[in-house]
Amino acid sequence: MKYNQETRLPRPSVHGTGASVPIPQEEDLRALLAKGKTKPAVELAREIHKRCGWPETEVLLVDAYAARIRSLLKTGLKEEAKALFELVHKRYSSAAARLADVGVLVSASSGNLEELLRPLNDPAVLPEIRRAIACVVKGQVCDLSALAECRSLTADHPLRTAAAALLRAFAAVTAGPVEESALLLPEVSHRGPLASWKILVRAIAYFYQQDDAACERSLGIIDPDSAPARLIPALRTMLHTNTGQRLAPAAESLMALVCGSKVSLRRALQALDSAFQTKVQDKILPEIQRAVTACEVAYPQLLERLRQYISVRALDLDLPTRKVRAALGGASIKNAYFWRLYARSAESSDEALELLICAQWEQFRRHAVAEGWFAEKGSEAAALYLHMAELLLEVPAKTLERQRSKFTARFSGFQDYYEDQPPVIREVQAKYKKSDLYFLSPSQLFERACAIDPHREAFERWLNWAKQESDGRVADHVAELWHRALPLHSQPLLYLMESAEKRGALNRATAFLAQAQKLDAVNPEVRRAALRLLVAQTGRHLQQRKPHLVEQDVAALEALPQAQVADRPAFLAALRWAGAVVRGDAELASSFFGQIGRVLGSSAAAILACENAGALGRLTRADFDRHVPQVSLDPADSLVVATARVCALGDDLGAPFTIPTAWHARLCQELTNAHGELERWQLEMLGKAALRTNQKELAYRASAAGLEMGGDQEARFLLLRARALPEWEFERRDDCIAATVELGRRCGDMAIINEAIELRRGHRNTMTKFLDWLVSEDWQDFSMTTEQIHAVLQHEKHSRAFPSGRHAPLRVPFRETVFLDDKELEKDDEPCALDDSNQLVPEMGQPREKRPKRIRRDLPGQGDLF
Amino acid sequence: MRQPNIQLNEDPREILGVPPDAGDERIRDAYLQKVKEHPPDREPATFERIRDAYEVLRDPRRRALHMFLSADPRAPLVSLLPASSQERKFTGGDPWLAVLREK
Repeated sequence: MKYNQETRLPRPSVHGTGASVPIPQEEDLRALLAKGKTKPAVELAREIHKRCGWPETEVLLVDAYAARIRSLLKTGLKEEAKALFELVHKRYSSAAARLADVGVLVSASSGNLEELLRPLNDPAVLPEIRRAIACVVKGQVCDLSALAECRSLTADHPLRTAAAALLRAFAAVTAGPVEESALLLPEVSHRGPLASWKILVRAIAYFYQQDDAACERSLGIIDPDSAPARLIPALRTMLHTNTGQRLAPAAESLMALVCGSKVSLRRALQALDSAFQTKVQDKILPEIQRAVTACEVAYPQLLERLRQYISVRALDLDLPTRKVRAALGGASIKNAYFWRLYARSAESSDEALELLICAQWEQFRRHAVAEGWFAEKGSEAAALYLHMAELLLEVPAKTLERQRSKFTARFSGFQDYYEDQPPVIREVQAKYKKSDLYFLSPSQLFERACAIDPHREAFERWLNWAKQESDGRVADHVAELWHRALPLHSQPLLYLMESAEKRGALNRATAFLAQAQKLDAVNPEVRRAALRLLVAQTGRHLQQRKPHLVEQDVAALEALPQAQVADRPAFLAALRWAGAVVRGDAELASSFFGQIGRVLGSSAAAILACENAGALGRLTRADFDRHVPQVSLDPADSLVVATARVCALGDDLGAPFTIPTAWHARLCQELTNAHGELERWQLEMLGKAALRTNQKELAYRASAAGLEMGGDQEARFLLLRARALPEWEFERRDDCIAATVELGRRCGDMAIINEAIELRRGHRNTMTKFLDWLVSEDWQDFSMTTEQIHAVLQHEKHSRAFPSGRHAPLRVPFRETVFLDDKELEKDDEPCALDDSNQLVPEMGQPREKRPKRIRRDLPGQGDLF
Repeated sequence: MRQPNIQLNEDPREILGVPPDAGDERIRDAYLQKVKEHPPDREPATFERIRDAYEVLRDPRRRALHMFLSADPRAPLVSLLPASSQERKFTGGDPWLAVLREK
């Protein structure tokens, strides 16, 4: 009473202003409450109220007591909280309204639901009390049945009907599949204190329907302060989205009942995966032990497979074998499954040695055959041999040879792996001789593959590999085997024909061609081969100085329809010109020369065509000089255009034109300014011809002219650029190759993709199958985004000058997403002035006596025409 | 021509429901049956999966290649668990409510 009287003192106002005086230390008190320091807050509030005795200070004191009571409840001191509440409620008049919600909490702490809910029956109950009760129901009431049967509420009270409906729905969703209608629950308000229960019921239904995404969505909208939120960690663990959190015993028990012990295994496997990512032995080994134990309990039939995966990963990380075995509870079984995993793991490793991978695949093959995965001579075995051969082809030939000799000397088999293995596994290992290292030889692998499953792709790959061997007989042998195994294929016959032609065995070559024509006369390759063989035969007769046979050959050539296409008639006329030269018939030679000029429309091209035919027939310089008329060249008659045209023609007919190195500078200059004068294919042939004589700068400029033209042939000129770059520009070359592959892939040009891959490998012309390439690591190496391709193209288009030295600025490959801006690129440009076209004349044949000494045309990269 | 996706994450045999030793004829029958069950106009995504699986299995050479290259030693270890390990047993409400009651 004393306090109440004191409280009634009015709060004074500031003299002259009418405003109330401030409450002393109010800020300090609020700060203490904000920090949760309720005991000193109460003491300070009491002191302030004692000093002032104003209604405002009483409110402050009651608020401090309310905070103190909440704090006591939170720490479990229910009796103390109740006593303090009753004392404050009795002593302060303002307490009834301000402590309404605290009173509800005190009632709830006794656990008496009836008592808690009773105020709801009073229509005049304060809104604060109603809200406080709703808050307690939402956050603390877990017993739906008690709520549904609460006698202090009327039977039709919304809380009771909602709880009853939820109870039925909860029982239904946890007992079996339910219909959607059972989840609607119209009795439960979306804004009521039981709304989160409604969402939980739906989440459980989705969980059992295996609709994990919907379940997770529902869990995400449950109020985290509500009672049903306590089930969220357990549900998320069962959904596999929560791996780290430790669960209470009831939640663990729920998971064991619902998911069996497999959920523990799943968590152990996830933990082991995480441990492997750390690569720390001390973290990995205990997790291995846990995973194995969990697997033994939950899924014993999976244990061996799990051990094999763990073994392979441990081998990959070079973990100590003994310790891993101890953690695994024994060695994993080294059967086909293990060896396949081990080989695949090695294939995806950056430091893998291809020979070792092949040895691992061989172990797989042995066990797979023994275990009945496939037959020793089944198509699967053939596919495996081919795969192994392809692996070996990844290694440059010289490196492979070096590695093979080291490997053969050091490799002692996989004996260590067979310790503690069951007899059935050891028997497989014992069956094979250690010395049988056939898997180190691409030739033997191809041979085995083709013997078991002879088909075009296998032979094609073998032949392409054999073509790279220095001994030409290897490729001949492969082609013969191919022809024997698949006699209806024309491809090996064409190769044998070409090979015989190169050796000068024209009769034999003709016989092979005849066989190919019998098989497939309309095949364009066969038709082209016929043309080329006849050209070669003509060249031989020219060399033998047999003009009558030359005439017969050319007549036979003319009879071929394919000889009348494009510039080919000009080359036939050039052969006739060479025949006339051999015969010493100057008039006839002059007539043919004129005919060539008319077909080609250029005197320069006519001279070069005669040069090419003369080189084919090994005419002497004197013969040539005598029979090429002294023509005055049109100043506009470009040497580069003529050269490109003759290069293309020679390449087409199997008489490749050798560009004299003496012309190099002039051709480079002309090419720089030959805008639009050359067709794309001519530029490409010119570039290829330049590369034959190692004139990389000329090839480079041809690629620049081609790239400048843009269009769908950019990939071809990027590849030409890659070939033309100096050795030390290897990163730039790799970028060009990668961009070529990506462009080729986008327009479906398999030929260019294969050329690019082979260039990368250091081989040429191997026709790898697209599918195999797709699954090979090459695919990963060559991947480029559109932006990266564009950047490479821009860079190469701007880099018109041939790289002149090793002092170029440091360059980072485009695939590392560094892009140079155009201004930087422009610095590389090097303007070239075209010399007077009249300067061409001395080298085109007019003052012939001044020409450099003739050398043999079959020595690439040296001097003049012959 | 559309290039089939050889690097299927799932086992194509499992998709078509054929045993490991199934031959060409069995694979083809299983494929046709699956296409009937999941026609492209009604279930295009499932049909794509089925067709990709068949593309891998129909050619013995590609089938073999898949056998060698499908193993992924770096796949998450939980992928070893079969789909049946996802089974969820109905337990009634009590174990669930026990979690809510636990302090």
